[in-house]
Amino acid sequence: VRSLGLLACLAVLLGATGAWAQGPRLESAPSLLPAPSIGAPPDGAVPPSVPNEPTTPDLIMDLSLARVSITSAFQGESILLFGMFDPPGEIVVVVAGPPARETVMRKQRFMGIWLNTGRQAFDDVPAYYAIAASQPLQRLLARSAGGEILSLEDRLASLKPATPRDAAELARFRAGLVEVKRREGLYPAAIGQVTVQAGRLFRVDLPFPSRLPEGVYDIRVYLLREGKIVAAVSRPLPVGKVGFSAQLAGWSAHEGALYGVGAVLMALLVGWLGGAVMRRL
Amino acid sequence: VEIYLPVAELSMNVFRAAGPGRSGRSAGSGMFGVGGGFLATPMLIFVGIPPAVAVASQANQVVANSISSLQVQWRRGNVDLRMGLVLLAGRHARIVGRRLAVHLPEADRPDRFRHCGALCRDAVDHWPADDGRESQHLFQAPTQSRRPRGKLHTHYLVHRLPLKLRFYKSKLYISALLPIGLGFIIGVLSAILGVGGGFVLVPAMIYLLGMPTAVVIGTSNFQILFVAANVTFLQAATNGTVDVVLALLLILGGVVGAPIGARLAAKLPGVALRALMSLLILLVAAELLTELLRTPSSLYSLGAREVLP
Repeated sequence: VRSLGLLACLAVLLGATGAWAQGPRLESAPSLLPAPSIGAPPDGAVPPSVPNEPTTPDLIMDLSLARVSITSAFQGESILLFGMFDPPGEIVVVVAGPPARETVMRKQRFMGIWLNTGRQAFDDVPAYYAIAASQPLQRLLARSAGGEILSLEDRLASLKPATPRDAAELARFRAGLVEVKRREGLYPAAIGQVTVQAGRLFRVDLPFPSRLPEGVYDIRVYLLREGKIVAAVSRPLPVGKVGFSAQLAGWSAHEGALYGVGAVLMALLVGWLGGAVMRRL
Repeated sequence: VEIYLPVAELSMNVFRAAGPGRSGRSAGSGMFGVGGGFLATPMLIFVGIPPAVAVASQANQVVANSISSLQVQWRRGNVDLRMGLVLLAGRHARIVGRRLAVHLPEADRPDRFRHCGALCRDAVDHWPADDGRESQHLFQAPTQSRRPRGKLHTHYLVHRLPLKLRFYKSKLYISALLPIGLGFIIGVLSAILGVGGGFVLVPAMIYLLGMPTAVVIGTSNFQILFVAANVTFLQAATNGTVDVVLALLLILGGVVGAPIGARLAAKLPGVALRALMSLLILLVAAELLTELLRTPSSLYSLGAREVLP
């Protein structure tokens, strides 16, 4: 996959230089689509300070896979994000999963046993959140003003609690949320640095664990110069079950009763056959 | 070989997923003559299946297990169909119990509590061996030697209740109100505690109703089949937590596991088997208890994700 990705990388590079030479920009390339409304952060589209034009000459990107297909053999996926930018500058990549309400539960010792005694719901929690940059992130973010690019901590600090609570407690629940998500591989602490080759070609591997929530993920790439965002491109990445898995999950979710009858009949049939076969052995 | 479990929403090694079914059943039906769910459910949770999916899919496996066992029991004439049906009828009054259960604080009960319930249920639900070998001594009525001549067992006041019905297989002539009442009480108990009720039903069938142990086993199996099918259906219809891929793996694991256990069992004396079984139950119980008492590695967990429209 990696070598294929590199090949694709080179192809794009060649194509891009060719296009530059000929004048017209890569209008038709899928990576240059405008920012999608689905999966965007709660504040809506990219703020006006970002020149998020579809045909930005400074920045183009593509993915090694157009979508994540959860099949019966799905074990998680690693997607290569690659692209090219006009030097100089630094690249920041932000991947955010679809937002949802998450409830964090906290255990406490009660009469000697550990019980879930506290709970706190947060709205608009991204199912997945990863950020990578071509330089140590802290330095880049400290210099970039405007708060467009949010580290995981900053992104979560802006979460609205579904019910009010004092700040110290909220911070603790927020930390708990990160802890659990991190354990599930959904908030990868460090997706490798964005590597830059020949001063203009960049790439980074995006890891997606097998326990991946479905939805449209939002991938954004920013080009920074002296702490200012000079270009940004974004692209939706649909994640969904396909084939047999999708069928079963769909029936389970929407045709629960029918699915239940099917499950019982399946168990009866297999159990009966199993019993009959075992008797002969 | 990895396979994606569509409802549990994670991928898992096929053998790892089938493992709990296999060891549960080889230790269970094969070796000790129990369902093995008491082993399988905690094992499934341990390997990372969400608890709700583990419990529901395991119920689906129990359907398959009990139909296999029932085949054998039926041929041996150990199923008192009439008794089973009357008990089931009583059990259906459980809806009342469900109403009661609504008023109990359920939301914050730790999952482990429920597993303890499942453990008790499975351990005792399936306790009497599939074929009843040697476990008779365990539940045999102590009054047998002093019973009056001409009667199969001592008669108490309960035998004077109206609506008498003959239960041929159980060699009983008792009021239908007894099993109906028993079924009702167990229905209420299981709705409130979230347990199968077998741990009450089996001793009650033996001591209160005076049924022969072998028939208790078959009839209890008959009950379990319906209860498990009911649980599977309700879980699927209301919570969507039944993963048929996982259930199928568990069933297949069980089919493979049963003869392994049976072969082992043939080499060991019955007393040793029962001792092993008790040890196993105690071990699982101790493990569940320490889980509750030990400081958890993480205090935090997440509830279900709710995608807002």
